Amino acid sequence: MSIGRSMRLVFGNRQFLALLFALLAAMPALANPYVLFVCTLAMLYIVLATGLNILVGYAGQFALANAAMFGIGAYGTALLQVRLGLPYAAAAPGGAVLAMLIGTAITLPALRLSGIYLALSTLAFAMFSQWVLLHWNSVTFGAGGFAVPHLDLSPLPIGPDIGIYYLSWAVSLALVVFAWSLMRSRIGRAFVAVRDGEIAAQALGINLLRTKALAFAISGFYAGAAGALYAPLLGYVSPEGFDLFQMIIQKSMIVVGGMGSVVGSVIGAIVMVAVLEILREFKSTQEIVFGGLLIAFVVWRPRGIVAALQRMPGWDEPLSRYSRPRDIAPQPVPAVADRTSRSEVDSAALAAAERPR
Amino acid sequence: MTLLSVQDLSVAFGGVRALSDIGFAVGRGEIVGIIGPNGAGKTTLLNTISRLVPVSRGAIHFAGVPITHSSPTDVASLGLGRTFQTSRLFAGMTVLENVMTGLHLRMRSGPFAAAFRTKAMREEEQGAAEKAWEALRYVGMERFADRPATALSFGQQRVVEIARALIGEPVLVLLDEPAVGLSVNRLAELDALLRRINAERGVTLILIEHVLRLVMDVCHRVIVLNSGMKIAEGTPDQVVADPQVIEAYLGSGFDAERLAS
Repeated sequence: MSIGRSMRLVFGNRQFLALLFALLAAMPALANPYVLFVCTLAMLYIVLATGLNILVGYAGQFALANAAMFGIGAYGTALLQVRLGLPYAAAAPGGAVLAMLIGTAITLPALRLSGIYLALSTLAFAMFSQWVLLHWNSVTFGAGGFAVPHLDLSPLPIGPDIGIYYLSWAVSLALVVFAWSLMRSRIGRAFVAVRDGEIAAQALGINLLRTKALAFAISGFYAGAAGALYAPLLGYVSPEGFDLFQMIIQKSMIVVGGMGSVVGSVIGAIVMVAVLEILREFKSTQEIVFGGLLIAFVVWRPRGIVAALQRMPGWDEPLSRYSRPRDIAPQPVPAVADRTSRSEVDSAALAAAERPR
Repeated sequence: MTLLSVQDLSVAFGGVRALSDIGFAVGRGEIVGIIGPNGAGKTTLLNTISRLVPVSRGAIHFAGVPITHSSPTDVASLGLGRTFQTSRLFAGMTVLENVMTGLHLRMRSGPFAAAFRTKAMREEEQGAAEKAWEALRYVGMERFADRPATALSFGQQRVVEIARALIGEPVLVLLDEPAVGLSVNRLAELDALLRRINAERGVTLILIEHVLRLVMDVCHRVIVLNSGMKIAEGTPDQVVADPQVIEAYLGSGFDAERLAS
């Protein structure tokens, strides 16, 4: 048994992620600058989708403020550089932490709400922050946006494109591993407990407000970190990158990839960035295709693409085992009386099958 | 020694009086049954003790602490566990993960320890998994540890819920109809399990049950509710012999002798 197991080639979630990130690490040697840019974007969306999945997929909080947190992270990082002259190394963590703090502070009053009410109140916050970015000209430069310095690693012989590529690679790998580890802890279990049954969670001593606030803080940090990468990647920030469509992009990533799955977030981000790029020439079709995919997956594949991979024997993602037909528990051995009646039924069925037609 | 005392407890939902002036005490180590017809307020009483339902009037003390206005989390940390009328296992978790969640209050690792997988966190996690296995073995469900919770039959889910409540080492466990939907064999297993939990672990139990055989067999004392009021209290034999109980709950012409035997 043990020999057979060790000899069998195991392909599971760990191998999947290791292979993917190894491939991404080798990408600069293989691809042209455009592909490299798209890959950077994909890694940044991996961070966004993973953070959103922690909040929506695991903790079950249907919030719509993630695009705003992404914007706050990007603006925070860029403004700390442009307005206060901070180096990127200080501005980027600052932007991410700012998104985390604002996200938590704003959502704290909203945490007593659930379901559609939570969705509406967080959407209102997203609209409000969009308005602030547009109209608080003296700080945010208004609707036109502003230029942000590219990543400067000057003593090192690394260009800004390659620099931001590997920075995104490292950040996304670290944050995916963090999310993974979190789900294999009491914190991850508390998230899922709150999602699957608030009453039972409370009876086990799980504090609902604290757990939800933690989920908001973590996903705010993820969105902020992605924003901190986005600003120097584009070299430019403007309010329109953080609008409702941005929210739909992120939401469709976790739905298509797989709600409540870290690997699903990664897959969803990559697939949807590819779709986004393929449709870039047909700009007006992006919204339609994204909306269509979102609905199609919700209706026909509610567990997302990752559900197919989760069937593989090496796959042991925590907190994402749903019952499938082959998992259904064997029925308890019937009592003697039952057994006779069943064998009678069986022999009757056998006789029926053997009866000539 | 009194573990739980309920004094003049009333609960109203709007104009509806669900519970009126209920008073009783449960001693450490007892098994107390709560019976009564549907709508008598049994589940409301358990929900009030576990602080899911606000108290309109009266007082509840648990382990010497007034809990009349505490939160569910507070009473859980005082050592109160419970199971529910319909299975409330977490659907997205395996059976083992469900039981491990019962250790939430006994574990310390925060988000940073978890994200960085510190040595202390990994050891705690390992210990929790071992305890969860042990709890599943105790209730005889260890072979289902890696199944998704929803793949289990209804009766099996109830037993896992008991394991999840027990793993946090509570002093009092409230069980809401643990025997519902169990076959005769399973019922005997549950009967033995409840006695074992009480005798070996010294856990005090309060159970709501419609299966009178179980109540008669395991309970030291029975409280009878009808229309939100306590109409009788005593040993199982006393209660089923009480004419008021027979009238109000068991119906007239009921053969109490046969039931008690």
